[in-house]
Amino acid sequence: MTSIPIIVDCDPGIDDTIALLTAFVSPEFDILGITTVCGNQPLERTVRNALQVCELGGREDVPVYAGCFRPMLREPIHGQFHGKNGLGNTDLPEPRKVAEGLSAVEFLVVTLSQAAERKQRITLCCLGPMTNLAVALCMKPQIAEGVERIVMMGGAYREPGNRTMTAEFNVLTDPHAASIVISSEIPIVALALDATHQVILKPEHVTQFASVSGRISQTLAELMAFWDRNDVGRYGSRGGPLHDPLVIIYLLAPHLFETQTARIFVEHESELCMGQTVADWYGKSGLAPNAEIVTKVDAQGVIALLLERLSRYADRAAA
Amino acid sequence: MKRHAVIIDTDPGVDDAAAILTALASPEIDLLGLTVVAGNVALPDATANACRIVGLSGRQDVPIYPGAPGPLVRDQIFGKYARIGAFPEVLVPPGGRAPSVEHAVDFIVRQTMAAAADDAPLTICAIGPLTNIALALVRHPSVARGIGRIVSMGATFAAPGHRPPWAEFNVHADPHAAAIVYRSGIPLVLMPLDVTTQALFTGEHLDALAKRGGEAGTALYRLLTAFDRSDPTRYGRPGGPIHDAMTIAWLVRPDLFETREAVVDVHAAGSASGLTRADFLATGDRAPNALVATAIDEAGYIAFLTERIASFGNAVAQRSDET
Repeated sequence: MTSIPIIVDCDPGIDDTIALLTAFVSPEFDILGITTVCGNQPLERTVRNALQVCELGGREDVPVYAGCFRPMLREPIHGQFHGKNGLGNTDLPEPRKVAEGLSAVEFLVVTLSQAAERKQRITLCCLGPMTNLAVALCMKPQIAEGVERIVMMGGAYREPGNRTMTAEFNVLTDPHAASIVISSEIPIVALALDATHQVILKPEHVTQFASVSGRISQTLAELMAFWDRNDVGRYGSRGGPLHDPLVIIYLLAPHLFETQTARIFVEHESELCMGQTVADWYGKSGLAPNAEIVTKVDAQGVIALLLERLSRYADRAAA
Repeated sequence: MKRHAVIIDTDPGVDDAAAILTALASPEIDLLGLTVVAGNVALPDATANACRIVGLSGRQDVPIYPGAPGPLVRDQIFGKYARIGAFPEVLVPPGGRAPSVEHAVDFIVRQTMAAAADDAPLTICAIGPLTNIALALVRHPSVARGIGRIVSMGATFAAPGHRPPWAEFNVHADPHAAAIVYRSGIPLVLMPLDVTTQALFTGEHLDALAKRGGEAGTALYRLLTAFDRSDPTRYGRPGGPIHDAMTIAWLVRPDLFETREAVVDVHAAGSASGLTRADFLATGDRAPNALVATAIDEAGYIAFLTERIASFGNAVAQRSDET
């Protein structure tokens, strides 16, 4: 089996953590690096959390790169559902692992340039605001040639926003970066709220996950329990939407997802609609489609696959 | 003598050439490097031109770093004299200098972080669109701490813009970058069109550059005459401005300028994209972020530039005296 080379750009974050833990035990991936960004938490914290999650998952071998400390133009905003440190109420040990000396932007430029030269393109899993990739693309647009595609968690097309009426958090945090990335002609798979709100991690799942996941079970249960939005009116049940892990699950099992092709855009001028993502479903823009937007998800299939993957921690000896 | 550690961020460009040569001729300036950005011309041409200009000075110790090839968000536009492209060899001879491999943004990040660590913030003379500097500022908080001030040729307040009428080119070419820089908290010194168009160089002044400035002066004369900058309808008298060199003049001869503090901001987006505003009376609750040059001693500026460029001729004369 040839593995898919990926870079995970993220801002952990509870759902980022579940995504990373899933990727760590999936031999389908060759994880070249984790790049972190200011998003759910300030940068120092997302870096630290990424290092802790690598150690928790027994993947100290995966390099972590610190990225941009703020969005391009807008003031930073942070997530509201991740607890004060970004990892719920968990109390992971002080990381021994340290971030690489190279910055995330330098890593992206170097790695994607090489990928372009060798024609061995890399898949980018974008789980946070896309500041790092946007800055890299502004510095050297040719790196787009080194990207196989972007699988991104972000945006809200037919679904309303989550942080504002019209905007999803990752895109709202840095709408200019999102616009730069989306205008780059790199093929995109968009896991927007349209998709992620179809997969709710419910309290009964939490017990299930905790019972299978071996040495990470306590941390995983704490993270997942913390994720409960307790908003039945909005989500139809207790629990919270499994945003970021869907990026990893999509790459592992695309048959669980239905997509629709469209050109996508990001509003970055209007205060009312700041960060809104717009899909040209019916070819009104005259521009070629650049995205597969996930419209339907087999939620049961996703939960089952996630459960299977995280149960692999039961077989792995404690680090 | 107080020496300023300076990075020039530039898109050469004819008046960029004047600024760079003036800096190279000024012992008050410790020129750490040129960072090149797309603006007046496309990045490869701007980089080639920067190499030629440094080559003219004979200096081997000033590295040249190619940077961002276009603006952050808006569509790319080029300068009024974009047709210049790479300077023709008949105007500026190739100087044998090659650009560095390191990216301009990486260089700015590296230099400013070191400057912040040493508590010795440096100066950036920004004479093109502000794309490189904006990208560096997003990368690391120490970048802003390592920049003592940005002396920027850009913006216009009362004077009419280039194109469109409300905006000056460097700001208009990348208004989002300008917004990042203006709001960064770094002290700004602005040379807007209001002041750069107060000093006009006539044919007589340009002749002096050619006569006294050696090979560098001759090349500058050729550039300034081949791409005539005079515009009597706009300026009401003969002669053309040399905008960018005012940033260097301010560092070396601040006595030539009148300045006023202001709260300066820019419209990044919308129908007034590139419009800059200066609140000289600080009517809002924000503290001034810029020192805006409002007037220049025209004769003093022309004399300063002429003398500095003449030093290239003197160097040649000195060398031939010695041999």
